[in-house]
Amino acid sequence: MPKDSPFESAEETRDVYKPSRATRIFTIWRKLKTSKLAVAGFGIVLIITIIAIFAPLLAPYDTTWTGRSRRPPSMEHLLGTDASGRDMLSLIMYGSRVSLYVGIAAVSLEILIGIGIGMCAGYFGGIIDESLMRITDMIMTLPELPLLIVAVTFFEVRSIHIIVLVMGFLGWPYIARYVRGEFLSLRETTYVEAAKSMGAGSWRIIVRHILPNILSLVIVLATMDIPWYIFYEATLTFLGFGDPSSPSWGVLLEKGYLYLTTAWWMITFPGIALFFTSLGFNLFGDGLRDALDVTERGR
Amino acid sequence: MSEYLLDIEDLRVYYYLAEGVVKAVDNVHLKIGKEEVLGLVGESGCGKSTVALSIMRLIRNPGKIVGGEIWFDGENLLKKSDAEMRQIRGGRIATIFQNPMSSMNPVFTVGSQIGEAIKLHQDVQKSEIIEKVVDILDKVGIPSAQERAKDYPHEYSGGMLQRAMIAMALSCNPKLLIADEPTTNLDVTIQAQILELMRALRKAFDASILLIGHDLGVISELCDRVAVMYAGKVVEHAVLSAIFEEPKHPYTQALLKSIPRLDMKAERLHIIPGTVPRLIDPPPGCRFHPRCEHAMKICSEAEPLLTDAGKDHSVACFLYSSKKAKPPT
Repeated sequence: MPKDSPFESAEETRDVYKPSRATRIFTIWRKLKTSKLAVAGFGIVLIITIIAIFAPLLAPYDTTWTGRSRRPPSMEHLLGTDASGRDMLSLIMYGSRVSLYVGIAAVSLEILIGIGIGMCAGYFGGIIDESLMRITDMIMTLPELPLLIVAVTFFEVRSIHIIVLVMGFLGWPYIARYVRGEFLSLRETTYVEAAKSMGAGSWRIIVRHILPNILSLVIVLATMDIPWYIFYEATLTFLGFGDPSSPSWGVLLEKGYLYLTTAWWMITFPGIALFFTSLGFNLFGDGLRDALDVTERGR
Repeated sequence: MSEYLLDIEDLRVYYYLAEGVVKAVDNVHLKIGKEEVLGLVGESGCGKSTVALSIMRLIRNPGKIVGGEIWFDGENLLKKSDAEMRQIRGGRIATIFQNPMSSMNPVFTVGSQIGEAIKLHQDVQKSEIIEKVVDILDKVGIPSAQERAKDYPHEYSGGMLQRAMIAMALSCNPKLLIADEPTTNLDVTIQAQILELMRALRKAFDASILLIGHDLGVISELCDRVAVMYAGKVVEHAVLSAIFEEPKHPYTQALLKSIPRLDMKAERLHIIPGTVPRLIDPPPGCRFHPRCEHAMKICSEAEPLLTDAGKDHSVACFLYSSKKAKPPT
């Protein structure tokens, strides 16, 4: 790492005149509030997050509790029971933990790799850009689902973490391309030139000057990718390549599918949960895109 | 050497394009004394900004500093390591760019950006940085600096932002300030204010200034000496009054004739015939001869050398001297 590493001393400087975090969040919220859909999306995301975090407190039954199997929705079991007599509502609540974990972890991984590769390629250009982008292209051409199936089968242990790792490693190329494109154009701006003329080194310019300019859009992309990964995991699990020990919504769908004609609630409710999660994150992401536009902040 | 703060010797900067080599700056000599303001004048594309970028060592591919020396404060900048150059940029040499609206990062407050410049070059406490930022903004005439420091660049007007840029440039007490057309994108009243400010600050900060521009009016406001560039070469170099009162090079004369003046009745404004040559294949001999009224036979055959033509006045033209540059090897 170069001497003027952006990670050591720069931190405090920025804070000197940064509006406090609370004010910033408040201004973003004020913008977000103007769109009803965005607020609805935020509400859904918030509710799902709360359910996931407090599942043990909120769920009416334990996941190990069993009663009569395949009961339709009733006052006792609002969403019915599954084949082994477990309460569907509780299962869905606990399942949200796994599904959210999958989405957020895979997206974090994808963003981390994507930004790292994209910013190096875009800023330094030349041979670095060329070689990094060829690697990116290569990974982009891989067919994801078959590869995921192969990769998951390859690891003998069926683990949700391995699924997350593989998905993250396959998902970063388009983030990298996006970030690279932004870096290519932003590195030509006058303020980057000005920063250089004030003595800023490459890493400082990359991390402190260019990255903050694109971060808001990357956050938007990330938000919209979360449901995509939740779906992916559900698909994998549905096809029988999931981790049976982690009861995600995909696991519920897979089991419910067997009883489609006799116990419709077993597949319908996890499906609805998936649908709303996806809807929530997408609406929220859309709203965030508008709210994070810094030039309009505070107006 | 010691009497000059900046001494550019025989600087050559070429751009290597697919179509050929563009000699953007060719055998340029420039000297700036301590606390002196040098104006560098020329048309667009004559290499004046390239000179500025060379001093900062910010020439980018496919450009390259091919030869020459840049002595600053007794040190050769072209021999410095990258880390040493970073210390010099923004520390002892600072720059103001021509478009203030895009010279600040839109996602950070003006105060934090000036604070960062201070932090980069001075060893000061966080609390002191705030004081310094407000103090310097105050000096360049930003009203209620304490509050304005917390504003984002888009909340400033163009003139205010240029003031803030000047504040940032001056925040580390540079010895040399490079102003690359600092008033070009501002409207006329603001231009006057910025020039006024620069004149005042020059006294307060004891910095030398390299003022780059194509507007002779702006140059005449501020400079002690003027260098006129044409197609990558310095063609005339003299004190301000000499340039305006007795310009020697035909190009300088033509430039001065092209300024609209109220006290002279002329039917039409003088224009210089022809266009600036493409530097990829410049005309042989004197680069100005195809457009020159006084062109002689020798002008297309040999290149005139910058030679003394009076006190503190040098010019590169065969009308005044027969000294030829060595033919390129």
